[in-house]
Amino acid sequence: MAATSAVAGLVGRRREAVRRTAGLTRELAWTQFKLKYTGSVLGYLWSLLKPMMLFGVMYAIFVGVFKQTQQDFGMQLLVGIVMYTFFTDCVGAGMGSIAANGNLIRKAFFPRAVLVVASSLTAAMTFVINLTLIIVIATPLGLLHVGLRTLAVLPLIAEVYAVALGLSLLLSALFVFYRDLGHIWEIFSQVLFYGSAVVYPASRVPVGWRGIVFLNPLAQIIEDVRHAMVIPDAPWSYSLIGIRFLAPVALCVLVLFGGTWVFRRLTPSFAEAL
Amino acid sequence: MTVAISARSLTKRFRIPLDRSTTIKYRLSHWRSTSRYRDLLAVDGVTFDVKDGEFLGIIGRNGSGKSTLLKLLSRIYRPSGGSLTINGHVSPFLELGVGFNPELTARENVMLNGAVMGLPRKLLESRMDEMMHFAELDQFADAKLKNFSSGMQVRLAFTVAIQGESAILLMDEVLAVGDARFQAKCFDVFNRYKSEGRTIVLVTHDLGAVDVYCDRAMLLEHGRVAADGSAADVTATYRKMVGELQDAERMASGGALIDIADMTSSAKRWGNGDVRVRAVELLNQDGTPHVNFTADEPMRIGIELEAARDVNDLVVGIGLHRGDGAVVAGTNTHIERLRLPSLHSGERIRVEYSMPHLMVLTGTFRLTIALHPSTSETTYDWLDQAFEFRVTDDRGRAGLFELAGTWAYSKATPWAMSLPAK
Repeated sequence: MAATSAVAGLVGRRREAVRRTAGLTRELAWTQFKLKYTGSVLGYLWSLLKPMMLFGVMYAIFVGVFKQTQQDFGMQLLVGIVMYTFFTDCVGAGMGSIAANGNLIRKAFFPRAVLVVASSLTAAMTFVINLTLIIVIATPLGLLHVGLRTLAVLPLIAEVYAVALGLSLLLSALFVFYRDLGHIWEIFSQVLFYGSAVVYPASRVPVGWRGIVFLNPLAQIIEDVRHAMVIPDAPWSYSLIGIRFLAPVALCVLVLFGGTWVFRRLTPSFAEAL
Repeated sequence: MTVAISARSLTKRFRIPLDRSTTIKYRLSHWRSTSRYRDLLAVDGVTFDVKDGEFLGIIGRNGSGKSTLLKLLSRIYRPSGGSLTINGHVSPFLELGVGFNPELTARENVMLNGAVMGLPRKLLESRMDEMMHFAELDQFADAKLKNFSSGMQVRLAFTVAIQGESAILLMDEVLAVGDARFQAKCFDVFNRYKSEGRTIVLVTHDLGAVDVYCDRAMLLEHGRVAADGSAADVTATYRKMVGELQDAERMASGGALIDIADMTSSAKRWGNGDVRVRAVELLNQDGTPHVNFTADEPMRIGIELEAARDVNDLVVGIGLHRGDGAVVAGTNTHIERLRLPSLHSGERIRVEYSMPHLMVLTGTFRLTIALHPSTSETTYDWLDQAFEFRVTDDRGRAGLFELAGTWAYSKATPWAMSLPAK
């Protein structure tokens, strides 16, 4: 009897801890989201401005200058940019989330990963709004070809979120100790933009290079989202590289677990280092 | 009675890097050199138990390891050694209003700060009006925090802080903030917690609060437990320790805040120098120089003078100042009708002022010595608030000085006021 109640007590405490953590995550994410968009008059529009500028410039260059004529190029580009923006926003904000909240870490106790998860959720909220906006506006215009395969977007979003969160955890922990990671990340995200098949369809990549380009999960995700949402003519990454499409998926899982592992290893030193 | 917190040989060692290695660039360019560290033992093998419902005060000087220990108990720092067992949910209050954001409204900040402390959303929502009322912010619930005065912010933070229902509360210097009225509120809450049987660990410099509220106190010194026992005993030990340390510092200088041998004028010393103070001594009842006195103790002020030329109407005066400079008392040889002899050039005399017992009470006091003629406005030598001594009253009387009255009582009659005191 006593043992049973002890176990019940333990389970209750565990549930209580989960509730606290979830509550804090939600509150932090929602607060950050509100602060991001209520501080200025234009609010949410600001968050659209960056990807839209990028889209406008790229579209002008590729369609206006290079005479890109591929079907639905604009839509493909837009979807790619939205995915890419989510990834870099999420990792960029996540990386600083531990270092920027030194006071919380030194003065209160809660699972530290909450800060990283909350900042990734804030980025995810913006992303979901952007994506919904695209679907709502582009579908009636006939720019999107939605079908049953569109459901594949859900696991793909889960995949991009997993890799973004994993990288955020890894970098946020390292950023506490190595502050020049910020610069390195900026350069890396530039390279990533051109290496992720954002501004070109992956089918244009020479066959010999595909194995390497598709090691980049973002390239695989963007390509598959295009197939799922924009045009069925764009190939699945599976049809381009075969079973090797599992490599980027595995990499995402690896980054998530690796990032979590490093984060957990370094967590005890945060309060002292900040 | 069960144990809420149990610490065994709890140790925290900080490794302070001697080289700056906060960049990857540095790491890469110095990859061969191993990092050099200096070890700092902030908490050094501390062992103690806190029983359920006990109110423990942790005191000690700055840097004695109090706050580090509290952070270990809060699980913010991980111990370097030893073990720590905590039975029950812990709420650390290391600072009021952790996570407050000036851009958010009072209501939003309550939700955020509450979440940081682990309070359920529903509970916060249901108590919102009541909390705003308690914080005296009824009309400002939807105003942004950045428009609040610091007092309003503290009231809001405190109101959220006391909503928690944790069995174990860890508090660091919460009392250091706010005005007297706010501190009174804090004490009310402490009383409530005590009556609810919660376990409280309080780190503070306020020895008075420890005396009144804590069942037990622990004194830390250099990261070790220097004393552990009843609050009254431990605070007395601490008071004595601090007094001794200050004594040691002041004894070295004889309480002088200026260099008396230095005859040049300074902001604290002026005069034409016809007569000069050569030495000043504060003597206790044994006749030994001292800087730490208890009220009621006899005190003698010895002043050694030297005349630089012939002087025939010397007056020696003293002034006693409070820490803030206000004059508590002052007198001189002229007022007290002591005629000092004429001095020839180079002649030295010693003048002494004796008090059968010190009438000032607790505090740090400063002494001014003044040499001047009785007739003119000239000043020979003035040492302004140049000597410091400390007085403690072990009888607990309030205020600056002793009233030196007597108490009496008698049966109440309409003429009670006019009856002679017995």
